[in-house]
Amino acid sequence: MNDVAYLSPFVPPEWIAAHGLRPRWLRLSRAEQATDAGAHRGVCPCAGALMERVHRAGDLAGVVLTTVCDQMRYAAAWLDAQSGPPVFLLNVPSTWESPETARLYADELRRLGRFLVKLGGHAPTEKEVVATLRRYDQARAALRAECLSVSARDYALVLDRLAGHAPSPPAPLPKGEGRNAIPLALLGGPLLEEDFELLDMVVEAGGRIVLDASQGGERTLPAVFDEMRVSSDPVGELTRAYFGTIPDVFRRPNTGLYDWLGRRLRATGVRGILFWRHVFCDLWHAELPRIREATGLPVLDLDTTEGDAGSTPRMFSRVESFLEMLRESAIP
Amino acid sequence: MTQPPRCLSLDQWDRRYAELCAAGMREPSYGGCLRRHVEDGDDRLLHLKMDDSPAALRLWNFLLSEEDRLREAQASGKRLVGAMKDLGTVPVMVYALDNLIAFYPDGAWWLPCIMEHGDGLLRIADSLGVDDSFCPVRAMLGAFENEAHFPIPELLVSSVGATCDDFSAIAQRLEAMGHPIFWWEIPHRRPPEPDEPSVLLPGMFRAAQSQVAFVQSELERVRRRLEEYAGKSLSDDDLSAGIHRANLVRRKLATLREIVFKAARAPLPSLEMLVAEMLAIHFCSDQYECLVVLDELIAEAGRRAVDDVGVTDEEAVRVFWVNPVADLRVMNLLEDAGGRICGTEYLFSHALDLLPQHVPPMEALARAALADPMVGSARDRAARVCRDMRAFGAEALVVSRIPGASHCAMEGPLIRDVVRRELGVPVLEIEVPTLIDTMTPTLQTRLEALVETVKRGRV
Ligand code: SF4
Ligand code: SF4
Repeated sequence: MNDVAYLSPFVPPEWIAAHGLRPRWLRLSRAEQATDAGAHRGVCPCAGALMERVHRAGDLAGVVLTTVCDQMRYAAAWLDAQSGPPVFLLNVPSTWESPETARLYADELRRLGRFLVKLGGHAPTEKEVVATLRRYDQARAALRAECLSVSARDYALVLDRLAGHAPSPPAPLPKGEGRNAIPLALLGGPLLEEDFELLDMVVEAGGRIVLDASQGGERTLPAVFDEMRVSSDPVGELTRAYFGTIPDVFRRPNTGLYDWLGRRLRATGVRGILFWRHVFCDLWHAELPRIREATGLPVLDLDTTEGDAGSTPRMFSRVESFLEMLRESAIP
Repeated sequence: MTQPPRCLSLDQWDRRYAELCAAGMREPSYGGCLRRHVEDGDDRLLHLKMDDSPAALRLWNFLLSEEDRLREAQASGKRLVGAMKDLGTVPVMVYALDNLIAFYPDGAWWLPCIMEHGDGLLRIADSLGVDDSFCPVRAMLGAFENEAHFPIPELLVSSVGATCDDFSAIAQRLEAMGHPIFWWEIPHRRPPEPDEPSVLLPGMFRAAQSQVAFVQSELERVRRRLEEYAGKSLSDDDLSAGIHRANLVRRKLATLREIVFKAARAPLPSLEMLVAEMLAIHFCSDQYECLVVLDELIAEAGRRAVDDVGVTDEEAVRVFWVNPVADLRVMNLLEDAGGRICGTEYLFSHALDLLPQHVPPMEALARAALADPMVGSARDRAARVCRDMRAFGAEALVVSRIPGASHCAMEGPLIRDVVRRELGVPVLEIEVPTLIDTMTPTLQTRLEALVETVKRGRV
């Protein structure tokens, strides 16, 4: 049992792998949140499912959570009080304007390293760290090269695989959706297991997700590593590529998210945004009006609730109408 | 012999005020009859029962005149700082500069209650896409938008990091609406690793020395920003003097809490105690007056305690209360149900703890900021609740949920479990909306049931 679970893009899987343990991206399921732990009112489905999944886990050496939202901090406190696997709470600063915050993140990675050793991993040699970082970086590069030709669902699944295991080059991928479909962006929080149906639903309704800016999608991939810095200062390079680069909603100020979004929306020719937020997730919820304002694009607010998985007919008809509206607005 | 104190309705207070004036009561510049606040829209006063002492009158007038006093200060050339979220640290720095005044725009939290929604702030927040899935602090957005409450400060400073999502999200929204914010990071307080240098914080929490150093570096950034804004330097000596003054307030509050929570009969009502504790956060925008207000409350409480009179009888159940109530009327309700407050954790216990004076001032402030009960694990907070419950002899715990608050979903059960295990006392978790009117009977019944449970246990 040497799997270490995580579900924040700010946890570098290569750092876990370098310590001889197996990083496992937790793909959570709505079905997991129905019982005691995650059933409190006000708990977001993601945090609820996490609590339920982890505290019953007999197959994990440990879990790494982050401080990026209140719900995760409380989930960590709750899990800490249970008899499940040990939990490490990685401090990811919200602010980024002072260099001290990057130093704090780097120190946190080192602290995580000590935790991993306690879990049964080993303190890696510099050579091991460098080799592991390169391996992950190359796998991500291969994926980036492929991403334009695959469907959003397959892309998401490959990202998942990449995050979960020591990566091998991606297998040949099925062809993407029709080029005439309406290009859309998916923006927001993480997709739970059942939510993948949303991606199929979009294709079925005549859309094509050309920008996956949900948590776990393209937006939350780290930057390409700098070859020189990987060798000279691997922790510093992890810090730059993850903490210094990933645009996210919790950053203060979160201008980076809007800068990135603006660039990627222009580059991909997106015509509408599917805004994916979990119920009780304040961080995404509060951004909705600003996303509308800043992008000037039509936005479909998809708020997920327990039992309201992506496959529900209601959601399908909303996606369909949204695409219909986009189609009509394109007619001169 | 002191007259047994009473809690008065606003009508009764009108008569009481006339009597006090006739008897020659002297009032400060912000004094006056409580009724005038209703005329200004503070309708909740019509449904509260307030202590009948001149000290309580001064307290209420001090609280409810804050917006006017802020405008006067601004008109006199002082510059305003909107300190946000940290609840107790940045104002100590601001008040160390004599040309600045700090207040918490987050205090708009209570406006919808005080004004019984007559302020329309929650409606404005709704229209800005911040609906009731957020806590009442969303009223702050409305107050910035309509500018009908506090004057809009030119400088906003907010802590973020290990803070609630509600506030972080709303403050970010505020910034996007054109109110720039100076953000500083407060990291999640973690347990020090074995062998890691650590320090004991106010409130008995322990933190890694490296975390204290980090927070200190963040507060140094705040210091530089304040200096720029004030146009003068903020020396360590200024800060030490500021800490000394803040500690005067904190000491007085500690004395008041000690008298009130430990007396056989509660010498002051829970409602006034809640308001008094809130003064610690930013001195209600006037540090000097704050001391006078507290002195009068201490004198009144002390007299009553010596004479063994109070607003509750000896049988009242001693309740420890966690989280502030969105509707102040609940404090009256507790006493009506046969309870009294003996200990509180209203989210800002760190503003009640003395600031360390044996370390350099910036380190002292960093330690205090990290001692915020909300920036550490909920289990730490629960441990503090247990310690304070023991100290004040509390017989029951009430955790009041704040509607929409991101931390409330999970903290209640966590605190409840620890308190039950450690102290074996009954715990009640309730949700208190901004106005409790429609659910008063339910809340009353639940509080009465708690009181009954404790009383049965006594037998
Ligand atoms: S969906 Fe939002 S609230 Fe839930 S874990 Fe993610 S960031 Fe936190
Ligand atoms: S009441 Fe709770 S959720 Fe609301 S601002 Fe205060 S700490 Fe945050």
